[in-house]
Amino acid sequence: MSLLTIDNLRISFPTEQGLTEVVKGISFELGRERLGIVGESGSGKSMTGRAILRLIGKPGTVTADRMEFDGIDLAGLSERRMRALRGARISMVMQDPKFSLNPVMRIGDQIGEVLSFHRKMNAAARRKRVMEVLEAVRITDAERVYKLYPHEVSGGMGQRIMIAMMVILEPDLMIADEPTSALDVSVQAQVLDIMDDLVNRTGMGLIIISHDLNMVARYCDRILVMFNGEIVETCAAKDLADAQHPYTQGLLASMPTIDERRTRLPVLDRTLLGGD
Amino acid sequence: MSDGHDCQCLIERFWGVIDMIDLKHLSIAYGDTSVVRDVSLHVPEGGSFGLVGESGSGKSTILKAIAGQITNWTGRIRLGEHDLQQGRDPALIRLCQMVFQDPFGSLHPRKTVDTILSEPLTIHGIRDQNNRVLDTLDAVGLARKFRFRLPHQLSGGQRQRVAIARALMLDPPVMLLDEPTSALDVSVQAEVLNLLKALREQRGLTYFLVTHDLPVVSFLCDNLGILRHGELVELATIDQLKQQQFSSEYGQELLSKSY
Repeated sequence: MSLLTIDNLRISFPTEQGLTEVVKGISFELGRERLGIVGESGSGKSMTGRAILRLIGKPGTVTADRMEFDGIDLAGLSERRMRALRGARISMVMQDPKFSLNPVMRIGDQIGEVLSFHRKMNAAARRKRVMEVLEAVRITDAERVYKLYPHEVSGGMGQRIMIAMMVILEPDLMIADEPTSALDVSVQAQVLDIMDDLVNRTGMGLIIISHDLNMVARYCDRILVMFNGEIVETCAAKDLADAQHPYTQGLLASMPTIDERRTRLPVLDRTLLGGD
Repeated sequence: MSDGHDCQCLIERFWGVIDMIDLKHLSIAYGDTSVVRDVSLHVPEGGSFGLVGESGSGKSTILKAIAGQITNWTGRIRLGEHDLQQGRDPALIRLCQMVFQDPFGSLHPRKTVDTILSEPLTIHGIRDQNNRVLDTLDAVGLARKFRFRLPHQLSGGQRQRVAIARALMLDPPVMLLDEPTSALDVSVQAEVLNLLKALREQRGLTYFLVTHDLPVVSFLCDNLGILRHGELVELATIDQLKQQQFSSEYGQELLSKSY
């Protein structure tokens, strides 16, 4: 049975030129697997992730024929029930720890906040659980980190803290929106390995939203390529090199390689693709 | 293309000098913390050098020292014939300019493209601003209609073109590039990389690129240095990178991590 079913999802925003559709009727299913959604800025990939958590605020409008998570109809859920779901069963890791963590709250308290919201737990038990989850994201000196403020940790550690916050309640689905693009390459691999390990251990579903085709190809099982609000290609990660759609092929070709012999990189011709 | 007169003058002044950037025993410390230790490297005129390393390795610190933003370094920094002075060095600004990583943070949000580009000219008392601005817009492939726009009206790629144009306004022979494409989409990255490569060929610029992206180095540079914990662990040619044959263990580790 699939964990998440999205059918004909549309997201639009009013502009001076009338209603603009940023996601134009996409459908996909997710099992307990790692799915990568790739596309460039403006392709609608982040909007799709947010829509699943019902985080698209007014004046945006979201419609879907079906949006079901583990048998629950997400579109019909009351805001109260939705809040109980967020963080506990579906969670989201944001792009930049610098802007997503509360700057005036100690890390330990911040991670523990999720627990006090969703579970009844005394302070000692909460602290113990926070320590456990900090260790699960390979923070070795959890005692020390617990007491720090976000500005006192590095970007890589900040992102691991965000992941800790998101997995503390062992959700069934984690949506990671550009989880590593604010990080260094060497730290990127570490953060992705941690997420990968958590997915393998807990069997949760994972959606990685990214513009980085190579990264997604390496860490996901299946890839959706979005362009201009539509899914233009779906393929198994290992078959990415044989992508059929001209947009995917263009993206792949425009990336330099370690052994780069071309004097000019090919540039996407958006007009040919019918983009704007 | 731009009249390039000033650029030509500078190039003539440095004619015969083999190295455009020459660092000797460069060490930098913040207080008691040593950040860069005894780094020596040189980049020939018209060359392109890539400095790679993780965050915290000191690569941006070296860049800042060359750009004159950090002044408490020891050792020698030489740009062409000019020995960099400790403290503020006015000659430096005409010698090298920098392109920053994030085009969203590096442009003044309330100044038009025109103001951003003419400011360095005004400061240095250079005339003929109108033509120079238009020439530079053409050189970086920005349509002239963008001249009076504000940064928020431009896309990321367009903004980075403005940042490159700003760096070119004073015709410096050296360009310092701090992760110039890492904030951009891949297809936009390709456009900006192509532009940087073309500008270097047309104007004989010398590039000093700081990045963690080895494929970008492979496309844009002739030589590279690998920095770790403030020390240069390896100097390599681009062919060594292409054949993935670094001699240091750490170099190989970086290769295995990049995908």
